[in-house]
Amino acid sequence: MKLAVISCIHGNYEALNAVLSDIDDRKADQIYCLGDLVGYGPHPNAVVEMIRSLDIPTCQGCWDEDIVEGLNACECSYPSQLAEQRGRVAHEWTNNTIHPEVREYLATLPMTLRLDNLCFVHGSPNSQHEYLLPSMDGFAALERILSTDADVLFCGHTHVPYVRNLEDGTLTVRVQQPGKDELETQFETPLKQIVNAGSVGEPRHGRPNATYVLYDTDTAQVELREVPYDYELTCAAIIAKGLPPIFAWRLARGMEFAERADDPSHVCQR
Amino acid sequence: MQWAILSGIEGNLAAYEAVLQDIRRQRNPVADLYIIGDVVGLKGDNEATIERVRSPRSGELEPQVCIGWWEEQCFSLHGLSGLPDAPELMAQFGGDGVKHLWKSVSRESVGWLRSLHFGFHELDCLLIHGSTVSYADELTPDTPAIQLCDRLIRADANTLFCGRSGLTFECWVTPGKLRSTVTTLDGKQEPQEQGKTPRRVVGVGSVGRIPGQATYTLYNPGSDRVTFNTVSYS
Repeated sequence: MKLAVISCIHGNYEALNAVLSDIDDRKADQIYCLGDLVGYGPHPNAVVEMIRSLDIPTCQGCWDEDIVEGLNACECSYPSQLAEQRGRVAHEWTNNTIHPEVREYLATLPMTLRLDNLCFVHGSPNSQHEYLLPSMDGFAALERILSTDADVLFCGHTHVPYVRNLEDGTLTVRVQQPGKDELETQFETPLKQIVNAGSVGEPRHGRPNATYVLYDTDTAQVELREVPYDYELTCAAIIAKGLPPIFAWRLARGMEFAERADDPSHVCQR
Repeated sequence: MQWAILSGIEGNLAAYEAVLQDIRRQRNPVADLYIIGDVVGLKGDNEATIERVRSPRSGELEPQVCIGWWEEQCFSLHGLSGLPDAPELMAQFGGDGVKHLWKSVSRESVGWLRSLHFGFHELDCLLIHGSTVSYADELTPDTPAIQLCDRLIRADANTLFCGRSGLTFECWVTPGKLRSTVTTLDGKQEPQEQGKTPRRVVGVGSVGRIPGQATYTLYNPGSDRVTFNTVSYS
């Protein structure tokens, strides 16, 4: 079965349409979505309606959670005061724009989805806010996959797609306890994989094209997809709707500069 | 010179006094005294214990104290953090436990407990009640190896001293090989080397949890040696 996994659409209807057309062309059997349907972008309601109408299994992203729960994360949400100001403007705008039934739908989204040996999350199995960056320590990354009991962990949140193979992992643990013999055990792991789906609506890999992934469950092959679309339409709508123009600027360049997280491994303790 | 690391007094003042006495008797003097959470609990007189911890006698070490599971339950009961009405406490100790804790720790003392640290980074060690994941994270010798490894990576320390389990143990975790390959839209990246330094999780024991038998930990930063002490008291 061929799966298409999309993430981080962020109210970008133009990008979503282009990606859905590409998925059609590639003849995927099933689409999974890793959340962040809203935030930053100008068309949150249309994006949610599209996802719902296609009955796409979707997990809750951090922006979806913030719209449901309110902005009550700890100070981790934004790396700078400037970023916080702009993020709050986008949050308020989205919060005022979305329809009640859209908010209700976002509240129903699960944290994780499963399909056989595959697990789907937004950020990490711990939190929608945790970034699984490709540079993360391999054993820490392995722990995130093993905690789900899956072989392949699909995530988004970083907006940059990648595939990470972790294989032949070994750990030795030596335990000393008063009154007991010393015990040494060795722990080995088979191949595990993290697949980051990138971002449909707010890519940050250095080009403005939308990104997503295809996964073949029979061959375990992953294909990172990059889809051109008319991003200028979205940029114009961002400005027309009164969202911070920096969102249009970075969308046109496919890059993130001001809002790179200082401590991407931080887990928000709401 | 060495450190004494205590956890889990749980209001048991007699046990704390016994441990203080044992610390005074050490041939190798103790230069630093850490209490990594659970000063209060259901094992005795919480107010008297807090007073004793806050006001060491002349010539005694000033304890460095951080927050534990029981302190977090106080904060929850007083609406200062986490979920209201201490659901974790309720689930584990029922309504009587909730009532007892509410009555036995004054608002003023809760204010002091709230001012304590979440943990201490000292040299290449982290001293914390649970782990950086949570005050409730209970690490034991049976915790899966990958989880211990993860907690050490998150702690950014070579030795993680913790107290949630109440057990005394030393778990050395040595990462071996791990092949990590990353492919992006720009192609395959250079393989990454993972850290292979052996690191350890140390359970420091519990002063007050088991009546008549207190356990605590001595650590010599010069030799990197950990010693577990058991003190009997009546």
